[in-house]
Amino acid sequence: MLRSRHLALRSLADEELMELVAGRDAHAFGVIFDRHGAVAYSLAYRMCGRRAMAEDVVQDAFLSMWRGGARYDRARGSVRSWVLGVVRNRTIDSFRQREIKQGRDVGDDTAAERIPAGERTDVEAARREEASAVRSALDGLVRDQRLVIELAYFGGFTHSQIAEMLELPAGTVKGRMRLGLAKLRLALGDPAEVVR
Amino acid sequence: MTVGGSVSETRECGGDAAAYVLGALDPGEAEQFRRHLDSCAICRDEVASLRPVVDVLAIAVPQEHVPSGLRRRVMRDVRAEARATPHARLNRRNSRSVGRLALRPVLAVGMLATAALAVLGLQLADRGSSSERVVQASVAARAASAQLRLSGAHAELIVNHLPPPPVGRIYELWTQRPHQQPVPTRTLFSVSSSGAADVGVPGSVRGVGVIMVTSEPAGGSPRPTGAPVVVARLT
Repeated sequence: MLRSRHLALRSLADEELMELVAGRDAHAFGVIFDRHGAVAYSLAYRMCGRRAMAEDVVQDAFLSMWRGGARYDRARGSVRSWVLGVVRNRTIDSFRQREIKQGRDVGDDTAAERIPAGERTDVEAARREEASAVRSALDGLVRDQRLVIELAYFGGFTHSQIAEMLELPAGTVKGRMRLGLAKLRLALGDPAEVVR
Repeated sequence: MTVGGSVSETRECGGDAAAYVLGALDPGEAEQFRRHLDSCAICRDEVASLRPVVDVLAIAVPQEHVPSGLRRRVMRDVRAEARATPHARLNRRNSRSVGRLALRPVLAVGMLATAALAVLGLQLADRGSSSERVVQASVAARAASAQLRLSGAHAELIVNHLPPPPVGRIYELWTQRPHQQPVPTRTLFSVSSSGAADVGVPGSVRGVGVIMVTSEPAGGSPRPTGAPVVVARLT
């Protein structure tokens, strides 16, 4: 019975699942976690550099999404974007709460926990290609532009903090962010399609 | 709209859009910019064109497996909250909604019955299988606890309030059969900030007498280098 229902839920689009989540359907939420939990954890881990902290952040983030599922607005973007936005905001909140601004390097990598090639599904393979495209586009940026974007997005720093760190005028930091994002947009074509 | 070579580094209308979508404006600036958006079509265009770019940055990070036990912890919290709220009416509505949403040709047959019985099925599942057995484990650390959940030939170790392994070390899971040396399971783990971890024991535990955890150098060890911190005896 449960298996049949689970299979049925897995056939639904994210947006349809979110309608059920808004009605407090835990099984539908479980499918959302299955689809986006890995990328959410990957983002948190990239930002924290600590597995235990990343797990706490993702747990908190998904619980807040469960509580606020009704607030998902499909007009504002995909469920994936929403999930990642919540995780990123939670991670930054966590930085601020714990006043952790150092040691975020990814230092406790264990190769065993990387996704083994043999376990990739078609969907994962497609997403890896998309991720590769985004990484290539990032790598194609001038280093100064990539740096300010990564500090802002993955580090959670404001433009004024970045300006202080890099000893640059705030306007220069904003300008590099703008140029960098504009170039990424050109390199990626229609990024909205990538994140679906 | 300002894209590519036409973008300048001078402050102009739209100059804050990139910092805004990156979440890099100071809180006061962000609020001011939000108000500005209400009246500025140029900035709205700029934000609309750049936001999808920022949305894809997250997928560029190296992909990791979801750690063992994280899904279980998330769903445990979710189900606990679901049970704590007056949701019976909502769940009934949802059961109908699943049927409505999932009425696709390949799955249409049987869906309505499945959906109608799903709530009952969930309740039964939450009570656990009668074949499940829980073994309390001995833990070296004061205030920590651990239990082994056995379901058929499979086992899962759940620890709580366990101190994290010392810097440069990691917890390693072992199985030991009677009169034999411990065998590494290749399962290495740490704990959350609250000292929690759920770790699946790889393979079958049939014939295994003891499951234990030791603190080992990062990367693991082929044999235990210290006293176990957790010991669960199956026999």
